[in-house]
Amino acid sequence: MRPLHRWSALVLVFLMTLAACQPAAAPPATPTAPAPPAPAATPGATATPGTQGPIRIGAPFNLTGGLASIDVPAANGARLAAEEINAAGGVLGRPIELLIRDTKTDPATAATVVTQLIEQDKVVAVIGFTDSDYVLAAGPICQRAGIPFITVGATSPRLPGQVGDMLFLAPFGDNVQAAVGAEFAFERFGKTAYLLWDKGAEYTTVLAKYFKARFTELGGTIVLEDTYQSGDKDFSAQIAKVKALPQQPSFYYISALPDDVGTIVKQFRNAGITGPIVGGDGYDTPLLLQVAGPAAENVFFTTHSMLTADSPNEQVRKFVAAYKQKYGTEPEAVFAALGYDTVYILAEAIQRAGSTDGQAIKRALESLRDFQVVTGVINYSPQSHIPQKGVTVIEVKGGKFTLAAEQVPQKVPTP
Amino acid sequence: MQLVSPTRWGWIWTLRALLVLALASAYLAVEREGNAYLKRLAILFLINLMLVTSLNLFTGFTGVFSLGHVGFMALGAYVSAILTLPVAQKAVNLPDLPAPLASLALPFLPALLLGGSAAAIVSLLIGVPTLRLSGHFVAVATLGFLIITHVVLINAEAFTRGTRTFSGVPPYTTLGWAALWAALNLYFAWRLKHSSLGLQLMAARDDPWGARGVGVDIARTRLIAFGVSAFFTGVAGGLWAHFLTAFSPNAFYFSKTFEIVVMMIVGGMGSVTGSALGTLLVMVSTEVLRNLESGLSIGSLTFGPLYGLSQIGLAVLLILLITFRRQGLLGDRELRLEAIAERLELWLEKWKAALEISRARKADPS
Repeated sequence: MRPLHRWSALVLVFLMTLAACQPAAAPPATPTAPAPPAPAATPGATATPGTQGPIRIGAPFNLTGGLASIDVPAANGARLAAEEINAAGGVLGRPIELLIRDTKTDPATAATVVTQLIEQDKVVAVIGFTDSDYVLAAGPICQRAGIPFITVGATSPRLPGQVGDMLFLAPFGDNVQAAVGAEFAFERFGKTAYLLWDKGAEYTTVLAKYFKARFTELGGTIVLEDTYQSGDKDFSAQIAKVKALPQQPSFYYISALPDDVGTIVKQFRNAGITGPIVGGDGYDTPLLLQVAGPAAENVFFTTHSMLTADSPNEQVRKFVAAYKQKYGTEPEAVFAALGYDTVYILAEAIQRAGSTDGQAIKRALESLRDFQVVTGVINYSPQSHIPQKGVTVIEVKGGKFTLAAEQVPQKVPTP
Repeated sequence: MQLVSPTRWGWIWTLRALLVLALASAYLAVEREGNAYLKRLAILFLINLMLVTSLNLFTGFTGVFSLGHVGFMALGAYVSAILTLPVAQKAVNLPDLPAPLASLALPFLPALLLGGSAAAIVSLLIGVPTLRLSGHFVAVATLGFLIITHVVLINAEAFTRGTRTFSGVPPYTTLGWAALWAALNLYFAWRLKHSSLGLQLMAARDDPWGARGVGVDIARTRLIAFGVSAFFTGVAGGLWAHFLTAFSPNAFYFSKTFEIVVMMIVGGMGSVTGSALGTLLVMVSTEVLRNLESGLSIGSLTFGPLYGLSQIGLAVLLILLITFRRQGLLGDRELRLEAIAERLELWLEKWKAALEISRARKADPS
């Protein structure tokens, strides 16, 4: 090897280049900024969007990968809403440009895409995602940039606390739907329940936790608790334990992801368990009827809205018809309606704010009251960025989804 | 190397200086230009570079395939994140954390080092039994380790929140940190490859019986490489955790494993510079294709949104590579400045000779 001083000369050159360039540099970015909730945004961080041309809205979704089955309908719903709004003259006299991006069911990609949307595309707000992992990866970036972010379908009620004050939820929180599930089943079926949940996902774990809290508070008893792992294809171990119970519970609460719902229901029914099965909005997928078929009878689940062409709600009928006309099929999942609603909520807020400034939009969202959308009525406040919407309970009857109830919980477990 | 002519050394040092200048200006450009998107990509590249280089450091040098390295990454990520999480956040997110951890929030560097050390210690523990195996059996055993790590992460709810997202990690990872660690990792891997330990590893890879015959303790050398590799993977995990700030056990599983293995295979197993090239090629092509996904127009032709293009593109790239260049871009060779200097010099001499001939012709046109 050569003497060391050659290397030290190189290092010196490197350091001198660094030093030479430093004074001209802007004060170094502070990546050690406090974790969310960070203080209000620095408006300088976002280039002031022009007052001409389209209003750009970032729309990251997991269009490929594990979450595609619900994110694609959500993105379709959002695109439909943007087109309708533009056909009706846009917002503040300007059209909306929805930048739909695929984040590949990968949190790191989600974070990169959202950064790109904010930095390069200069979006004024971001909507998207139906799962909290991605909201938690992307949310802090919007928070730091002072860009409002409405999640289309992530239902964890703790999200605003974890991310900060720029985050809003379009759906209700899981604690709300779990409470309705518990109250509905307690009244209709009885005081004993079997509880099974997927411990491989945040959504299913949290939903089961809230269900248990509300159900035991009502005076119900969980006779048996069990878990499985998402992707399991064989539930005979869990079923054997249920069959071994001295007396069958009044109903079975099973907290599952869309991919597993059909398999579980089918295997439970094949084993001769005929009692009512209750679940959350993960059941709101065509997979339930496709996989379980007739076995899906006597299944009840809580969800955001009942999307049928013959709904008594006029807004729902209009949405289903418009969706069918554009995409040739009825909405595949309720997340289509949530995506559609989210764009309308944001457009209304921008209209009321009269500007595309992040803080102004956030304040307009916080003062949004009684705003009617497809999945219910939206009310936000500075204290609550989660709408207190009614919950729809759907029953599978005669091979079809039918409306069982629409209710608001009497009491909601604390997040 | 001792026989290299002085002019060659001049060339080599010029190239070295150019490389250092190029890296320095690239660093400054990204750091100062203020484009957060580019900066994110650069940090992600450096972290992936660490993951690929340290996997290559073990798998490439020893010829023993490890599919468990993402498990070490997860250990580094969770250990360092638990250590740096602010105390107030711990009370909310991890209420069941044991007492000494609950009231502790370490600065970044010690947390990273501890994360890396945790991964290294675990690697030594599992390395002792698994490295007695050889060939594909190690791949299966390390895959088992990955699955065990995943299950433990899901079930150790007091430490990891189970399957729920671990959030609120302070965003400490800056470009400087990532560059520093990546440089350290590359330097280590480079020196290891050219040390006697590296030569022993590669000898054992190419001819285990011969290596043993000349006194190489295969199990010991492999264990050292495994430990070093796990340490850097753990540190990379820590950097990744403090870069993304929110993650769940699902992030450290098969898809991440395949991503890293693909980058390593593209670059070439056993090549340090190949790791850098492979990571760069895979990341640049994914990112370029991803930007084309949302629609593209060439003249009057418009291609609508093509989501999934980047995954397909990557798959095609991999198939082509495996068909036409199985050893990856560089195989186990390195891009060496010395070799480039040699070529440059030869080319220059040829050019000079050609010039002289033409001059001679001009002077004497007969």
